[in-house]
Amino acid sequence: MAAADDALTALPRLGLGLGLRSVHFEAILAGADPGLWPDLWFEAISENFMDSGGRPRATIRAVAERHPVVLHGVSLSIGSTDPLDFGYLAALKRLADEVRPAWVSDHLCWTGVNGRNSHDLLPMLLTAESLAHVAQRVRQVQDYLERPLILENPSSYVRFASSTLEEPDFLRALAEETGCGLLLDVNNVFVTCFNAGADPVAYLDAFPCERVVQMHLAGHQDLGTHLIDTHDRPVRPEVWELFRIAWARTGGAATLLEWDDQIPDFEGCLAELAKARRYMAGDTAPIVAETDEAGDEGISNPLGFIVPRAMDGVFEDAA
Amino acid sequence: MSGLAAAQRRMHDALVYPAADPGASRALFADGGRLGAAAGLAVYQRGYFLRIAACMREQFPALCHALGRALFDDFVADYIRDCPPERHTLYDLGRRFDGWMATNRPDGAAPEPWVDFMIDLARFEYAVFVMFDAEGHEGRPFATPDTADARLRLQPAFALGRYGFPVAAYYHAVRRGEAPSPPEPAPSHVALVRTDYVTRTVPLGETHHAFLTAMQAGLGVDAALAEVSAHFGLDPDEARRSWRAPEGSRTRWIEWGFFVAADL
Repeated sequence: MAAADDALTALPRLGLGLGLRSVHFEAILAGADPGLWPDLWFEAISENFMDSGGRPRATIRAVAERHPVVLHGVSLSIGSTDPLDFGYLAALKRLADEVRPAWVSDHLCWTGVNGRNSHDLLPMLLTAESLAHVAQRVRQVQDYLERPLILENPSSYVRFASSTLEEPDFLRALAEETGCGLLLDVNNVFVTCFNAGADPVAYLDAFPCERVVQMHLAGHQDLGTHLIDTHDRPVRPEVWELFRIAWARTGGAATLLEWDDQIPDFEGCLAELAKARRYMAGDTAPIVAETDEAGDEGISNPLGFIVPRAMDGVFEDAA
Repeated sequence: MSGLAAAQRRMHDALVYPAADPGASRALFADGGRLGAAAGLAVYQRGYFLRIAACMREQFPALCHALGRALFDDFVADYIRDCPPERHTLYDLGRRFDGWMATNRPDGAAPEPWVDFMIDLARFEYAVFVMFDAEGHEGRPFATPDTADARLRLQPAFALGRYGFPVAAYYHAVRRGEAPSPPEPAPSHVALVRTDYVTRTVPLGETHHAFLTAMQAGLGVDAALAEVSAHFGLDPDEARRSWRAPEGSRTRWIEWGFFVAADL
């Protein structure tokens, strides 16, 4: 395991980054705002690019020539009891060989079973059996990709009645057994704990922060009775406060803002990301919450942005 | 079956067939927390459909326009119940949609033209969507007017379609923000070709469609011209003159990037 730990330690501290979304491609490739963000990095959704022979593939190649990039998957399905999809892994590896990401990440979840895919990040049954199952698959994936896998805590709305482990303990054991790294999504911690009636700071207390390579920030929808992980609005003050704690405990892990629905323009996203600097500097003054209209219940883990608007790139010709 | 496998199978079934197992939430999940087991599962059940419906609307914008969003979403709900997603990529969601519509026609034993139009439009839109991300020839040289006929080959990002309705015209009207009515039946032939990551839809005559189909099957220009001439009873010399005319299809199709130059 020492070699795996060395591999994690060797990963770069990337600073602040933004989720790579198609609505920003033009601004990014035009070199928008290079002065204020000389070290900006991007996280690309792997599935958006790994099967592409068209514009998305060309775009990520161009972005990767100018900025550090990491690949973040939503369909590895590391926790599923279906066999690992080596066709998927082959496509992921080809993309990784091409764009040379700083690391490759996915979620502690399963997306489907029996050959079917829900396209959601479904919660794990947290037992010793699950831990052994996932650990074996993480080792297989790491061997295949020839790099450590970084796994994220998902947002969740249920807890299996037969679970016997808490999520931070499960992730700690998984990381120790496999050498994998962790992606701490601070917003997911808050959403999961709120919905479960648990204390998010206690979650962080139990979390193996020394294994954290990256953190996520995002907005969520507050429906009063529960929270939905919508990624469609600014980060809430309570999440910024958790981030301040997590930033210190992880020793300054790379931090990325996700915004996947109702996406502002590039400058708007950078402005939200810039708020992180206050907390990285240890500022404890709370950010005042922006007015937050709850509206209709949103979608957790929105993925509509992954499907490109092909219609925008179609011309008609007379024969 | 392990406890993990059994739990995953039951939860996934509860997403795809929400009404089939009313006891799933109580059996699977702890009832504590702010949400409780049933409301927690409902978040996943609702998200499963809405997420996929949103992606399907991106893949089939003209069909969604034609049906109206509510009816389109109803079709999607039935479609994913019968054909749950199988692949890791959301791009694959619509692959079976036209076939599913054809075998689940809402008009049953009394076929109505509007259903035929919807099926054709679904087939056309998925072809356009596939072309968006297909392996292409960008970054490499295309054929030029000086390329000999013997070296002309169709480029990889090229597809042909044959429809019973003018689906491309309807699609473009929606794209322009118009509110077109469903068209009357009329045969249409369309080529899709992508250059510089832009897809063109090119309306074709029946003979042009047949000629390009022959080239897709591997024939060279001369053999394809001969086959089409024989099939449609055309004068082969006239067909060749038409092909090579200054404003003829050869010139336009090379300009639009139909062809690459093969090494002989």
